[in-house]
Amino acid sequence: MKLELGKIFIKDLQFGGETRVDGSTLIVCKEDVEKLVMEDERFLKVSVEIAKPGESTRITPVKDVIEPRVKVSGNGGIFPGVISKVDEVGQGRTHALVGANVVTVGRIVGFQEGVIDMSGPAAAYCPFSKTFNLCVVVEPREGLETHAYEEAARLAGLKVATYLGKAGREVEPDEVAVYETKPLLEQVALYPELPRIGYVHMLQSQGLLHDTYYYGVDAKKFIPTFMYPQEIMDGAIVSGNCVAPCDKVTTFHHLNNPVIEDLFKRHGKDLNFIGVILTNENVFLADKERCSDMTAKLAEFMGLDGVIITEEGYGNPDTDLMMNCRKITRHGVKVALITDEFPGKDGKSQSLADSVPEADLLLSCGQGNAMLHFPAMDRVIGMLDYIESQIGGSAGCIAEDGSFDAELQIIIASTIANGYNHLAAKGY
Amino acid sequence: MSKRIVHYINQFFGGIGGEEKADVRPEMREGVVGPGASLAQALGEDYEIVATIICGDNYFGENIDEAVAEIMEMVKKYEPDVFVAGPAFNAGRYGVACGTIAKAVAEQLEIPVLTGMYEENPGADMFRKDMLVVATPNSAAGMRKVVPVFTTLIKKLANGEEILGPAEEGYLERGIRVNYFAEERASTRAIEQLLRKVKGEEYHTDYPMPVFDRVDPCGAVTDVSKIKIAIVTSGGIVPQGNPDHIESSSATRYGIYDITGMDTMSPEDFMTVHGGYDRQFVLQDPNLVIPLDVLREMEKEGRIGELANYFVTTTGTGTSTGNAKAFGEEFSKKLLADGVDAVILTST
Amino acid sequence: MLRKRENILIITNNERVAERFGEGFQVELLAEYGEVLLRTRDALQTEYRLLTHPMSGSLKPNQTPFKTIILERVEKRGALDMNSIELIERAMAAYHKFYECREIPAWSERSREDFRTVDLSLMEPAIERL
Repeated sequence: MKLELGKIFIKDLQFGGETRVDGSTLIVCKEDVEKLVMEDERFLKVSVEIAKPGESTRITPVKDVIEPRVKVSGNGGIFPGVISKVDEVGQGRTHALVGANVVTVGRIVGFQEGVIDMSGPAAAYCPFSKTFNLCVVVEPREGLETHAYEEAARLAGLKVATYLGKAGREVEPDEVAVYETKPLLEQVALYPELPRIGYVHMLQSQGLLHDTYYYGVDAKKFIPTFMYPQEIMDGAIVSGNCVAPCDKVTTFHHLNNPVIEDLFKRHGKDLNFIGVILTNENVFLADKERCSDMTAKLAEFMGLDGVIITEEGYGNPDTDLMMNCRKITRHGVKVALITDEFPGKDGKSQSLADSVPEADLLLSCGQGNAMLHFPAMDRVIGMLDYIESQIGGSAGCIAEDGSFDAELQIIIASTIANGYNHLAAKGY
Repeated sequence: MSKRIVHYINQFFGGIGGEEKADVRPEMREGVVGPGASLAQALGEDYEIVATIICGDNYFGENIDEAVAEIMEMVKKYEPDVFVAGPAFNAGRYGVACGTIAKAVAEQLEIPVLTGMYEENPGADMFRKDMLVVATPNSAAGMRKVVPVFTTLIKKLANGEEILGPAEEGYLERGIRVNYFAEERASTRAIEQLLRKVKGEEYHTDYPMPVFDRVDPCGAVTDVSKIKIAIVTSGGIVPQGNPDHIESSSATRYGIYDITGMDTMSPEDFMTVHGGYDRQFVLQDPNLVIPLDVLREMEKEGRIGELANYFVTTTGTGTSTGNAKAFGEEFSKKLLADGVDAVILTST
Repeated sequence: MLRKRENILIITNNERVAERFGEGFQVELLAEYGEVLLRTRDALQTEYRLLTHPMSGSLKPNQTPFKTIILERVEKRGALDMNSIELIERAMAAYHKFYECREIPAWSERSREDFRTVDLSLMEPAIERL
């Protein structure tokens, strides 16, 4: 499978009469976006706002962040099984509006959505403080059932991103990256002297607000499977979850998975990147045993020398992480884990909810219990009504001017456990 | 005005004497004594060791509550900016004493504290989470090497300056997880380290997993009526008067005591020194911890083969796993030599 | 593996779970999150093993007021399932650790209803397969 990813670098975002890319500026027709969102009768109203890096702007409660992409050539369309029809993706050419994002905002379930600050101390912890964000603030009709509202908000963001992505179809990209993975036997034969490395990607899959979709299928309903890394770049995986904001693997992060990106950087140089094993994080202990058995079996079957495993969320998934680590190690494959830490108020408690002795190589994405001051911002996109009950906030934490003290957990993707950020923790 | 320091040392470093003087009570002297001299010299004019407290290691270990209370009164009087204990190097009882008193000073008087130990000192594992413990060589010969480490940290503590990581400052890691921005993101670092692991090279984890020293259980006893059983306890049961000075907490010793010919644990003969539970009922009836009365009956009825003619005892509360493991390894040899087939472990 | 319904025990403080599954299953409805963990631990010490992870939902224990755990009776009374006991002990340790950080906020009834829905949705797919 071979994908050319054309990157169009966006350095400004403006409203205008027609949605298009002008040089490095993305111009968006606000009315078109509003109309698109309101096609879904489940919404009462929508407002569309722009947030730029460096502004005194706070966005909250944030549900998802999505990078606009478009399929220029090759099979299928972006977000197959969700927005486009079910069809294999990952071949041909795709364009991405790099530096621009769609941010869905609104009360979904009042507590699981996070904060993005466009400037100030919290901006250092959030990748979306540095991007040009088109914020889609939605409000559901009264009495809309929670599952239905979650779905409506999820689809609204994906629809808007797909719509914006189309503006990049005819644009000559600033940069084209080529990603190629051959069928297993050929790929192994291509670099026979290099270590064969795989990626075990654990998807959040526990229930409402804890689901992820692969070609539109709820991840808790599949058994571990092989995926070409290129598929994820065309939106084969979309996020439907709102775990702790800091832990959230947004749809942006699926499109721009850092492990896949970095493995490709060294592919053919000092490693042979064979492919991705997708697995899930279920509630049932028997499912955990079964899926980790299968993950280990696949790793062995693919002839891997080493794998990197990433997880999404704390607690329940830590057990999957450790089971995967133990079983894959016992199948003779070396393992590196990436995760974030929650060592409690004084930073002295155990960082993870589970552990096995085989987990002797773990890379930290920082600890989410550390406290941070969030100064007041001139502008709020969304609402501050839920700060106290959002994860990381606490009763009485917010002052009248809108400033507050909270744990890093409240910032979207601040300690994201797939290794996207530079934040890390060490022992003092 | 110069910053004030109170220094705690044991009878040996205080020049009072060795093991034979280990039971001296705390005493206070104005100014510098023993190792304090080199600290004072390195600290310079802006810092003053105003007093030195000297206490025997055994006295401290066997009378923790009293010793802490007495020493606390002495420290209070001098209103120090920093409290320094030791360094204890590899001296176990001294290390435990330094940690215990420094922890009490930090908690009760809210004064910054500092101590120093060799990493394998049992006190190191007990207290490294609670305070800065300077990593020292294993003997006092290394004092010169650690003086600059102590003086830097004393100055920082006295002035409320930021303490950097264990590698930069030279203390034993406390296990506090602190955020920082790494040069490379975690995915990049993971690939780098994984390749090292695959190649069999040395690799570095950001988070060492907690290691639990688990012991695989022996196979089940098939016939209890044919075996010899001994009792081992961490409940602090000792003969009246505690002849071997087993500490009431953070034990550095254990005892083996004879029960030949006894049918019950008489409160006239035995007591408990354990500092971690309400001792009242056990002082009245030590059989609650060493169930000799019941076991003798079972022995007579033939339900157990034989009871060993002694029990093994120590105090569990606060005792480092390192010490506990060493005790077990040592007395197991005796148990085996005496033909003991199984032990009953009682804890409190 | 076939499971007998009468061997299943659902321990919860979520009324919606009790309403939904009270008919077909043995359900113990308790008041507090902490009580659910404690009762589960006690059950595991005698005659049950865990079917679901005690930290299901990835919400830390101070981030949701509701918790449901599903257990199954072991064939032989007293045959402890050490894996279950380890998981519940870790969950209890995490519960105390995060409570030390901050207690549960006074959520509005609307938020509490959301939490009930989420907890129920975590358990529904599991219970329906029993």
